[in-house]
Order: sequence, then C-alpha cells, then structure tokens
Amino acid sequence: MPRMIPSELTGRLAAICGSDGVIVDPDRLLVYESDALTAYRHRPGAVVLPRTTEELRRSVAEVARLGLPIVPRGAGTGLSGGAVPLDGAVVIGTARMNRILEIDAPNRRAVLQPGVINAELSAAAACQGLYYAPDPSSQTACTIGGNVAENSGGPHCLKYGVTSRYVTGLKVVLADGSLVELGGGAREAPGYDLVGLFVGSEGCFGIAAEIEVALLPVPEAIRTLLGIFDRIEDSGRAVSDIVSAGLLPAAMEIIDGPTIRAVEDSVFAAGYPTDAEAALVIEFDGLEAGLDEDAARASELCRRAGAREIRTAKDEDERLALWKGRKKAFGAMGRIAPDLLVQDATVPRTTLPSILRGIAEIARRYDLVVANVFHAGDGNLHPNILFDRRIREDLERVERASKEIMRLCVDAGGTITGEHGVGLDKKHHMPLIYGPAELDAMWGLRRVFDPAGVMNPGKVLPEDTDPELPGAGEGVARTGPGAAGAAPALAGMHG
Amino acid sequence: MTRASEALTEALKEQEEGLLNCVHCGFCLPACPTYRRLGDEADSPRGRLHLMRAVTEGRLDPGSDAYQLHIDRCLGCRACEPVCPSGVAYGHLLELARGVGRAARRPSLLSRLLPRVFGTPWIARPAMLAARLFRATKIPALAARLRFGGGPPGPIRLGMAMLAASAPGGRPGPSAPSAPGTRRQAARPRAPRPATPAPRVAILTGCVQAGLFARVNAATVRVLRANGYEVVAAPAQGCCGALHAHAGDLGRAAELARRNVEAFEAAGADYIALNASGCGAAMAGYGSLLGGDEEIAGRAEAVAARVRDVSELLAMRGPLPGGEIAIAVTYDPPCHLLHAQGVSGPPETVLRAVPGVEIVPLAGAAECCGGAGIYGLTHRDLGAWIGGDKVRSVVESGAAALVTGNPGCMMQIGAGLRLAGRTTRILHVVELLDASYERGGVYGRSGG
Repeated sequence: MPRMIPSELTGRLAAICGSDGVIVDPDRLLVYESDALTAYRHRPGAVVLPRTTEELRRSVAEVARLGLPIVPRGAGTGLSGGAVPLDGAVVIGTARMNRILEIDAPNRRAVLQPGVINAELSAAAACQGLYYAPDPSSQTACTIGGNVAENSGGPHCLKYGVTSRYVTGLKVVLADGSLVELGGGAREAPGYDLVGLFVGSEGCFGIAAEIEVALLPVPEAIRTLLGIFDRIEDSGRAVSDIVSAGLLPAAMEIIDGPTIRAVEDSVFAAGYPTDAEAALVIEFDGLEAGLDEDAARASELCRRAGAREIRTAKDEDERLALWKGRKKAFGAMGRIAPDLLVQDATVPRTTLPSILRGIAEIARRYDLVVANVFHAGDGNLHPNILFDRRIREDLERVERASKEIMRLCVDAGGTITGEHGVGLDKKHHMPLIYGPAELDAMWGLRRVFDPAGVMNPGKVLPEDTDPELPGAGEGVARTGPGAAGAAPALAGMHG
Repeated sequence: MTRASEALTEALKEQEEGLLNCVHCGFCLPACPTYRRLGDEADSPRGRLHLMRAVTEGRLDPGSDAYQLHIDRCLGCRACEPVCPSGVAYGHLLELARGVGRAARRPSLLSRLLPRVFGTPWIARPAMLAARLFRATKIPALAARLRFGGGPPGPIRLGMAMLAASAPGGRPGPSAPSAPGTRRQAARPRAPRPATPAPRVAILTGCVQAGLFARVNAATVRVLRANGYEVVAAPAQGCCGALHAHAGDLGRAAELARRNVEAFEAAGADYIALNASGCGAAMAGYGSLLGGDEEIAGRAEAVAARVRDVSELLAMRGPLPGGEIAIAVTYDPPCHLLHAQGVSGPPETVLRAVPGVEIVPLAGAAECCGGAGIYGLTHRDLGAWIGGDKVRSVVESGAAALVTGNPGCMMQIGAGLRLAGRTTRILHVVELLDASYERGGVYGRSGG
C-alpha cells in the first residue's frame, strides 16, 4: 500500500508547483511504479513535477522537512530499477524541466535543465556543427539528468568515453533543499573533483537542477561497416583482434541472432541477415584521411575471424538504418517475450568469445532465450533474458540463470554493471566486487551528501553492509565474494 | 462494474498479448504531444498502456478518475506507433480501452452527441446544411475575428472559427512570376498511360467532407479522372465510424463499418479513395474492427486492403503536372495519414506536380495539430495549447498557404490561424492540384 502523504504537504507542494504538478491519487501513481525494468513494482506516495530550479529546491525542502524518502526520475528509461520508489517515496520528476538554457558554441559548451532529452541536445547543437557525444541506446527518450545520475554510456563511448567525461559543472539540490554549485565555467577546478563524484551517484547524492556539458565538433567523416557471422564467438574474436591491432573505432556493437530476428521484424528493420548468428557494427570517424585504410584493416580482421560477409553503409541513410536497428533492439524484445531481464556486465575484451559461449550454454541448460546485444568494444555485455512473468516456474529459472551469468562474468575478471547502474537490481551483487572497507567508504561518501539518508534510499548499496546499522558489517563477510549475494531480483514481480 | 463493462474488460483482456508487447522502454514518450506538454507519465503512451494493463490485472477500476482522465486525454494521434520497437498496436488498444471506460462511466454530453450527429444521416444532412447556410452569412468569420480578452476561446467562438475555416479559400495564388529565389518545378511530360483498362475508384464522400468540404470531394473526382482513373459510385455508403471508434463506441462503429463494407463491395472498385485521413485510417482498420465477426471479417479485410489516400493514387500515376501556381506552401501531415497509415511521400509528390509551388518546411510537422476528431472541442485548453504551437509554426514558416489532407486538421489549424488574425490559406492537397489543372488546361485536354 502506498504511503499516505500528509495533506498539508500536498498543499504546500501544490502551492510551489501548481496543483497539476503534484499527484497523490494512488490510481494515477500506478504508472510510476516501474522504470524500464518492469521486474520491480513499487507505487510512490506522491509525484512532484517542478518546472524550475527554485520549484525543485523548494519541493525537496518541503519533503525533506518531513523526512520522507525522495526518488528522482527522468524519463523512466533506466534498466536497473534506479527510479523505482521504494517504501512509498516521493518521486520528483524532471519531465517539465526540459529547457536548453544556453548553447555556447565558441566555448563548445551547453547548459541544460535535467529533463532535456539526450538526442535533442545534439539536434539543437547540430546547426553549429556540434554534438553531445555520449549516446545511450535510449537517447531519443532518456534525459541528460538521468544520464548524469547513471553516468550513462552508449555505443560511441568506446572512443569518446562516458558521461562523466562531458559534465563540466552542476547545480545540485541536496537532500535538505539547499542548492550548491559544483565545478562549472573553467575546464579545470582546483581541489577535489566534486562533479566527478556526483556523476554516477544514481540519485543518492541529490538532484541536478542545471547541468553544464562539453560539446564536440561533428566528425568530418564516418565509415560504418557491418560484419556478418555464423558463430557469435567469431564476432567476439574479431572485436578483440581489431583493438589488439591498434585500431580505434568509434563504436563496435554485436547484435546476436535472436536480437537480429526481433529487430528485423520491427519498424526499425536494418537489413541484418536473419539467418546470421551475429552482426557486428563497426564505425570509424574523424578526419577523412586514413578512414578508408582503417575500415579496410578492420574488414580484413573480421574476415580472418570468420565473417562470412562485410558490408559498408553506402550513404547516411544506410548508416542511420544500421544504427536504428541496434539502438531500438531493447524495445523490440517485446516481440519475443512479454518480460525481460537485461544484464549489464562488463568483461575484459579478450574473454568475449568464451563468455559468449558460456552464456549460450547457460541459456541451453535453463531452456531460456537469452538475446545478446551489446557494446562489444568495451566488453560491456547486455544479455537479455526473455520470459513471461505470468509463468511462475519461469521466474525461478530466470533468477538462477541470471545469477550464473553474473558469476561467469565476475569470475572472468568482469564487473556487475557497465552503464545501467546498480540501482535496485544489482545492489545485492555489490559484495561480489567490493570488500567491507570499500563499501564502508561508499556509505561514508553517501552520508556526506545526504546525512539523513532520504535520497533514493534502498539503492546501490545493500543495507546489510551499512556500518551504521546495528549488526551490520558481518553481512559483508557472509555475502562476500563466493556467496553471489541473496539476489531477490524478481521478488517484487507479483507485488 | 456493469455487465457491459465486464464484457469490454474481457475484450481488453483478450488483447493482453498486445499490451504485453510493451516492454516499458519509454521510446514513445517524446513522440507524445500530451506528455511533452504535461510531463506526467500517465499522459504518455507507456503510461496509458500501463493503466490498461492494470485494468486487465484487476488492479484498477475503469470507472476511476485516473483511468477516465488519462485514457480520455489521449489525442489518438498514434505518433507513438511508428517509434515503438515492439510494434504495440496502440490505436486499436486505445479504442478498446475507451470502450471499457465509457461502459464504466457515462461520457460527457459533447462526446456522446457529436458522433451521434455524424453517424445519423437524417440528423447530419440538415445539420450540415444549416452549418453551410450559417457559414455563408459570414457571421462565423466575423466572430472569429472579434477578441474578448485573453485565454483560449470559448466553445462557441472556437466552433465559429472552425466553421469559418472550412469555407473555400478562393483560388490559390496568382500565376504572376514568383519572388526571386523561389525554386520552380518545370512541368514534367505527361505520365505514360498503361494500355490496361483504367483502374476503378470509389470515393468515400464522408460526413464533414460532404457537408462542409464538397469542393474537396469534387476536386478529388476531377483530379483522379485526369490521372486516368474511372470514378464509380458507391451510393449505399455512410459515415465511416471513426469518431465512434475513437470515442470507444465500438458497437456503433462496427455497425457503420459493416454498412460500408457492403456498400463498397457492391461498388466493385479496385480502390477506395479517401480524402479525409481520419476516415482513411478507420476504413483501413475495418479488418480488425470486424475481426470478431466471422461472417464479415474476411470481407472487411478485403475492403480495407483497397483503401488508399487520394495522394497515394495520384502519386501512383505521376501525377500529371498542371499549370503554374506561384505560391509558397507548407505541408502539415495529418496524424492519421502519417502515423496511422504510414503515408509520408505521396502528398509532397502531388504538390510537386504543381509548377511554381515552393514547399517550405514546417517545424514540428509530424506532431498533431490538436484537432484530433472532436478533441479540440472536448479538451479545449489542451487542444488550444497543442494547436497554438502548430499555428505558430505555420506562421513562422512564412508560407502563404497551409496544405493538409484531412478536414479536421483544416478546421483546427484554420480556426487557430483565424483566431490569431491570420489570413493564411487552408487548402487540401487535391484542391491545389485541381486549381493547377484548371489553370494548365488539363481538364480541357483530357475531358475530365
């Protein structure tokens, strides 16, 4: 049952954001119970939709005064349950804070409200020959504020790096409703890098009210190749070989057979051959000179790794079609099964062929469809486990298979998340990666920003590792490496 | 819950597979005009699908304020469909969801009344005649120009402005040399005529189209004939049922659809030409609307497969170029043509057959104008907000005429322009081609 929000609070929030900016009707709140990871459902106590920094600041202050938990939410496209409101929390949505405040072309920077959609920033900067580099696959829908919270990546982060590399300044509303400025203006700030700390804090340190980002000039030329493979391991080897050869593609993405077939069935059909077991999209960009040589070398390496065919996008339309197919792949999974659990493990590139073989073996053993579509160049895997929540036995198998895949990646020297964040979904896996000292440090850091513990509670760090909780600490040892955590990944499914 | 409500909830449940296709990726959010403006996810396609699913799961009462408000507030523009990677048939689900909603709670008088008027010939014909007579008095045009304070116009003034906007805009554009820098399209040679017999086309004459836009129907016949089509009559036809289906009155929509299936079968045409894209999308959906009725399902599918927008039929034959009309136009694609039927190229192909026409881009063209059937009347504030943005884009485009392909859009955008004191012409695509043919003497040559 959702938490009852005191009516005085509702009234005060309505006075700040307007009566249409505060939602407390439990029925209307239903739509905020999940983000794009529908395995979890928790209804918020209220949703607040401010338009300005001042409205945001005052709203947070009012909620904080009563000590109620707060969950920031952008477009709800996250895949780790980060925007799911636990315990009837108050959701503060940034959908109405969607203005680009400034594009400063000579200095290649832009200042935005958090609700600006990623792709729309690049579209707005295009007329000045600039763009915003991090390009999550959900970039047509996800917001920059969410990108900052999750330190989002994307296909082109192979060459260009993730969000943290582009955020140069922030105005942040802290948990008590105070507004602080981090970084901004000059490129390098003396002292500790507070901007760097905030980016990727998953809504636990505060809410970004204004974001300053660096823009890049649009590359002079682009070459996009599509390698087609009959064995997915071969595509993984090609990726590793290309990097070993010293080439630096802007992006290298693998789309496996089941994903190819889902995408080709959709409006975003890209012309991937449906009988292939893997398609590898490789892109080079930069100065025109040398691009053809790079593309030729990459083609040759693909062929040697076993590609049966290499295609080159002939024009911009073909290139965009190849990318659309890749970027819309997650959504197209709905054609295969009603529910999916996507993982986000990152492994050393050289282990890709064996990991891919291992995932296929796990899928076979559990009789599940696992569709892989991922940032191969970064070794950032996205195995999508497909299932139907209405079948209970499915849930159990999914949970066990999911755990095994995670284990496989961690044992290969990988980590539990590449870009989707830890959120709710992977917090129990944190002890797989970190020991007690590191987790203590993270708790300490979190308390610097949010001493009262009201910002997005229940996310990122497992409660039983909190050194300030009585009886905690031993939990770390119990669930430390080897125990694989007690992941109630799908526990909330029927909730 | 009443029995009717339960039956419809069952119908929605049967569509559960359709609802389950939604994996919650959120890619539809930025495409939704109501979400973009209101910022509440319950006003997004994903949110509305979530509410529908909650009803099928028994977690939400379809009579609840939340369900009624958000399902009703959808424009039904279906801009979410072409951006959905999972191919959720949102438009169809929305109609079912509205059916469930209206069974649970009686809809507003206006949304019950207007479809009734259009769907009942003995009410519609005199009502349309009265509207035409009133339009001829110029009182509506005058009323649209008068200003009483700020804010969105009241229902009467909006209705007047819409009626005024439906009036013929006069023959478009002078043939005088166009402004320097205007790109001109050279007249292309006549499209070669195949030796096969002329394809036979029956036209849906429509209710609003026949009542207030008879000139568009007449132009449709002329331009189709000039491009080698034989136009045949389908005398037993009636209202397409689009407004009823959009409002969730699926029973009445199915009755009307059944009548049209029979009427157009009898006409024996190769194609059914539509010059109102709202009706076109409805007729193209007859297969699924009547899918539950074995006796007629196959026939409905066959009729639906012959539905074409008039611009598609014209583009298939060239179309023949006409005489020069020097005018800068901007094209606003109707949602039910672009999103629901996926027709994007043909209307511009038709415009390019008019030498001298300069097509200027329209910012936010793919977004709904807020007309959305009777939405402009039932949701005046939000309709005026969405419509106001469209009107601003049209004005900023600098075009002398707005060209589109649906009477509702012509009236909605036209009303907005008139209320803003603008004299921008509002033309249907075929009206412009027709004027060009007249000027170029095409009808004299082909005897059309």
